[in-house]
Amino acid sequence: MIPTDFDNVFADLVDGVEDLRGLLQTLRRRLPHAWLELHGDDGVVVTEPAGGSPLAAEAATIAGLLEQALAGNELVAAQGRGGEWFYAVPLAKAEAVLVAALPGRQGNLLVEPHGRDLLLSAVDYALLDQEQQLLVIENQQVYRQINVHKQQYSALIEDNFRQYRLIQEKEKEYARKLESEIARQTAELRSTNARLEKASRLQNEFLANMSHELRTPMNAIIGFSELLSETDLDPDQSEYAKTIKEAAGNLLVLINDILDLAKIEAGKVELDSEPFALRELVEGVASLFRLPAAAKKVAFMVEIEEGLPALLVGDGNRLRQILINLVGNAMKFTDRGRVAIIVQAGRCCGEQVEVIFSVRDTGIGIAADRQQAIFDKFTQADGSTTRKYGGTGLGLAICSQLVKLMGGDIRVESVEGEGSSFIFSIPMASRRPLPLAPAAEAASVEADAPVGGVGALRILLVEDNPVNQRLASIIVSKQGCELAVASDGLEALAQLRAHPFDLVLMDVQMPNMDGLEATRKIREIEASPAGRAEYAGLRDRQRPLVIVGLTAHARKEDEQACYGVGMNGFLSKPIVKDRLVAFLREEAERLASSSS
Amino acid sequence: MPSAKELVTKFSDLKTLPHVALRLTRLVNDERSTMQDFEEIIKLDPVLVTRLLRLVNSPYFGLINKVESIPKAVVYVGMKNLRNLVAVEALRNLFRGGEAENGFSRKNLWVHSATVAIVAEMIAKRIFGQEGEDVFLAGIIHDVGLIIEDQLAGEALRRACGVYDPSKNTLVGCEQEIIGCDHSEVGTLLAKDWRLPPEVIKAIRHHHDREKKYPLTSITSILQLAEYIAGKLNYSPIVGRFDPLPPHLVRHVRSMMANYKVIMRDLPGEMAKAKDLYDPNA
Repeated sequence: MIPTDFDNVFADLVDGVEDLRGLLQTLRRRLPHAWLELHGDDGVVVTEPAGGSPLAAEAATIAGLLEQALAGNELVAAQGRGGEWFYAVPLAKAEAVLVAALPGRQGNLLVEPHGRDLLLSAVDYALLDQEQQLLVIENQQVYRQINVHKQQYSALIEDNFRQYRLIQEKEKEYARKLESEIARQTAELRSTNARLEKASRLQNEFLANMSHELRTPMNAIIGFSELLSETDLDPDQSEYAKTIKEAAGNLLVLINDILDLAKIEAGKVELDSEPFALRELVEGVASLFRLPAAAKKVAFMVEIEEGLPALLVGDGNRLRQILINLVGNAMKFTDRGRVAIIVQAGRCCGEQVEVIFSVRDTGIGIAADRQQAIFDKFTQADGSTTRKYGGTGLGLAICSQLVKLMGGDIRVESVEGEGSSFIFSIPMASRRPLPLAPAAEAASVEADAPVGGVGALRILLVEDNPVNQRLASIIVSKQGCELAVASDGLEALAQLRAHPFDLVLMDVQMPNMDGLEATRKIREIEASPAGRAEYAGLRDRQRPLVIVGLTAHARKEDEQACYGVGMNGFLSKPIVKDRLVAFLREEAERLASSSS
Repeated sequence: MPSAKELVTKFSDLKTLPHVALRLTRLVNDERSTMQDFEEIIKLDPVLVTRLLRLVNSPYFGLINKVESIPKAVVYVGMKNLRNLVAVEALRNLFRGGEAENGFSRKNLWVHSATVAIVAEMIAKRIFGQEGEDVFLAGIIHDVGLIIEDQLAGEALRRACGVYDPSKNTLVGCEQEIIGCDHSEVGTLLAKDWRLPPEVIKAIRHHHDREKKYPLTSITSILQLAEYIAGKLNYSPIVGRFDPLPPHLVRHVRSMMANYKVIMRDLPGEMAKAKDLYDPNA
């Protein structure tokens, strides 16, 4: 580092005289009546008071004193020519020597007992004064610095507060933006949600309508082709009618499949959770295929593991649908060997049991690279399958979706040319079987009893579609029943006002007054004695009029709606002759037994 | 011969000053700026963050608590002080290297600048009772023009230094003659570019002006006093040579001699406290 001299920075600015003069004035304040001279080491001399000092005349004496003082003596005295005494004190710090005379005073002060002390004290005091001045200045500087710091700190605090306010403002602004952004997104979501809800409702309605629109003409085709084949036909015509009936049957299966899949995919399928008997269900499915299997000379086997609970809780109907589908496939693709339904218990956890169903065949099998795709919609093992074996390609997609819906999974194991196994497992709750009720036994006895004829039931058919009117009326009259026709709910009420009936076949969807509304009205009238009196058809009845709903809406909610308004039964269109006849027969029996 | 403007433009093109430092010095003048803005900018230069925190925690500020984050530093020492530290860090690198010749060396100039900054701050606070932050900044930056000249017209500057003789001419006069502009002009343009406070810019512009009497309490006058003291302490840009004090300032010093003597007595201690700031090897 460069050498520096902090002491002599201002040497150029200040001549030594000024320094000495300052010191001399300080000394003078302590010794106000003395004559004083300061002799700087550099030869400068300052005098106080200026002019006329007796010191000036005593140069030789003073020179002697200075010599002694510089030689290191603390305080020296000498008598001048005029008899006065002169004193000299070296001031090392100021680099000067003080020479003093005390006018009016006789004799050497230093020989008096306290003279020396008094003089030295006076000089010391003066030097202390000088130092004190410096201390005062230091103090002032410290004070100023403290003030600056105070100002700086308050400025700092103010600036920090300013920043705090700004940051707060920014945060508020941010919060506002966030809020409005959230509000905007919420509104967007709400409108999207509304749109989706509307779309879902429209899809629902569309499904319902499609179901109706598709089944209504099917109703006519199947019904009339059945009736047609019962008329006198020559062999060709009989063959044609049979073909129409078969084709219409296939078409109905396809329509049902498509609607089913659409419903599943739209999330409109609600699963039942009812107890059902596992063995009965599986055997029921098997019984559908035993004859066809025998006809194809294919062995048909059912194996149900012993340990499985007899009663399970779940959707038996949907399970049956899956099994029928899989066994149907197995039958279709198996020409020799066997088809088997195997039911096993999987993992078990308390009431919960995993039931594993396998449908195995020794059919044509599926190529390994096609095994995944077969569960997709409209996909079959290979393109030629449709031509050779028929089918829609929807069956497995529906099965897969249903299994998933039930919380299980489905897979296939297959070797081409050797056969396939479709395995699916579904977790279900087991239910302890209830003791068999005597009523149930009676019912089964009755079911076995031979059924009698329908007899002369008086039937009111309420149906707006003329084709369906004709179809239903032909079926009904063939059973020997009397039939009146009303084309909507209002007409039905008019008929009831005039004539008694044993049973009403009530279409649900009709103009003017639909079947649900009409049923509700009828039940209202039955409930009030005054109202009943006005209706010939209701007046004398012991029990409520039997009303059977007819609807092309085969959905569960449609069925529930029918029962909800007080219908006693429900037939889905297209009208299957056998089911309608069975219904009529049942009703006739009840009528006969109640009247006997 | 290049004009001051040409030099500053060329210099700025060299991007020798970190961009972050420029943005920060500008930020301090903005009344809407907060510690968050400050931190956001300074975060771009992690080295600068570390160095700044080291300086904030150095004895120069004498903080009782250790400051570990930039926002906290803003709270404790304020943005103006941080701006000064950013300037110190930016300039420290600038004053590195170069050869010593004709009494000029960058290292000398750096120690000179730091001494002037510290003395000026002491004078402002102790004699005039004023805040010392802007004064410190003016001190640290007032001779930056010399660095720019050294980088872009180094040989001419050395010649000017060689001709400079305080008894016959002035340094800025020699610069004007040989380089075509002088360091107070160049420094002023750079300071304007940095958007430094107007008082600071004025002080840089006039620190060699002996003709006009500037108010005693102005940064210009304080800078001139500090320059003279630094020169006397042998910390002048051109070793052993510096301009004499303007007469009215001589009168001022003589009238306050005891005050200045106290400052001189305390200066070594203050410089030791600020060692981290000006140590060229830090």
